[in-house]
Amino acid sequence: MKAVAVHDIQKTYANGTRALQGVTLEVEVGEIFGVLGPNGAGKTTLLNIISTLLVPDMGDAQVLGWSVLDDPGKIRGKMNLCSGNANFAWSLTIRENLRFYGMLYGLSKAEREHKIEELIAAFSLEPFADRRFDEVSTGTKQRLALAKAMINNPELLLLDEPTVGMDPDIALKVRRHILEYQKRTGCTVLVTTHYMPEAQMLCGRVAFVRDGKILALGTPDELQTKLKAKDMEGVFLELAK
Amino acid sequence: MIQRILAFAYRDWLFARRNIFSVVEMLFWPIVGMLSIGLMGNFLQLTRDQQAFILTGAIVLGTLQVTQLDVAYALLHDIWSKSVKHTFLTPTGVVEYLIGPWLIGMVRGTVVFSMLSGFSMYAFRFYLPGFTPTAILLIGVFMNALLMGGLVSILVLQYGQKAEISAWTFAYLFILVAGIYYPASQLPPFFYHVALLIPLTYFLDYFRTFYGHSAHLAHPLIKGFGLLAISITAMFAGLKMSLSRARRTGVLLRLSE
Repeated sequence: MKAVAVHDIQKTYANGTRALQGVTLEVEVGEIFGVLGPNGAGKTTLLNIISTLLVPDMGDAQVLGWSVLDDPGKIRGKMNLCSGNANFAWSLTIRENLRFYGMLYGLSKAEREHKIEELIAAFSLEPFADRRFDEVSTGTKQRLALAKAMINNPELLLLDEPTVGMDPDIALKVRRHILEYQKRTGCTVLVTTHYMPEAQMLCGRVAFVRDGKILALGTPDELQTKLKAKDMEGVFLELAK
Repeated sequence: MIQRILAFAYRDWLFARRNIFSVVEMLFWPIVGMLSIGLMGNFLQLTRDQQAFILTGAIVLGTLQVTQLDVAYALLHDIWSKSVKHTFLTPTGVVEYLIGPWLIGMVRGTVVFSMLSGFSMYAFRFYLPGFTPTAILLIGVFMNALLMGGLVSILVLQYGQKAEISAWTFAYLFILVAGIYYPASQLPPFFYHVALLIPLTYFLDYFRTFYGHSAHLAHPLIKGFGLLAISITAMFAGLKMSLSRARRTGVLLRLSE
């Protein structure tokens, strides 16, 4: 079984934007897979379809063995999403927001409280745990978004620009945490990013998307060799032309 | 499902505790409505039963509005905090999404009902006709509030944030047609027939018989609860369909932006 198997997905928005034009890809269980591309390429649309937040016009995606069209409810309990520009209930504290989502995912009280403390420590949120969401910095909000995405021990973790708005040192810490988390749990991670060093550090394989189509797919080394680029920045620049 | 109901109740409780507007909603408008109607009744020298008849309208309006706002807030708070997508990323269904805040709405509604009834008893010779009729009225009002809050959510999912205003207008429109200070039979024929489709009409008609008012509608409780069962079932089905449509069209994501 593949963690994600996307087959010929197409999506056009009401304003006529063709966000995805026949995307097909497979992600292995336990893999960290990167979806790269310029703004408006269709990366987030792809993630939204895999996360069941958006229904494709054509094609299907199997996520953890279930179809996003036929069994979205079964998928939702076993995956989670962290998106850039984190937004949560503004009048709840960091801890209360995590508690709320822990309850939504059906964690028992003991399990939930243990997990919350673990995530607060992992993402250095201790000084802000009892501060309201609207009182903390963008970087702290983003760390909460990552913590929330791990609250249900997801088998599939979707990360949409996970380190956007973070200071470089915190971003590095977060990337290390993602790697450590994936290694410890064996979960599958699908990440979109603009930061090529992030893709290089995290991803075993990447797909480069532009204008709703996959232009290239492979390991970072394979893509660099194929495109004769010295690093992933070079790959990006070559494919984004 | 119970865990998720409790999650939404927990969040709504925290919103209510920390938001000054929720205190204003509970105190200001319901008290203004009750005071103005009570004083008007005194000025017109209404009998005690007539006074109770119209005060019932003011008390029910305050209770209904506060309770249905909590239900409508389930989606509105998600929109205001741009967290709609995170909520519907979880295995949440439409039933628990509304029932959780409705539980808190009933607590707030009971406080408003008790406060308005108590003050009306003290200041305007109001009286309640006993535990059973009062409990039946409250159950009817709370279930009507669930229905209205659900309808607001459907409108917002269908038409986006511009439909938010329905959260503050629905209760007034419904009770205007259901007979706020008068029996529904006083309405023009078209609106009278609309009133017969609103469950609240039957609960008001039933409750007012205890103030010497002869019932205009036969079997009001059977019809009231029957209509509620049908309309609440239809509301949940409609909400589920609206949510599916919002996932298809991308509205669910736009509400998170």
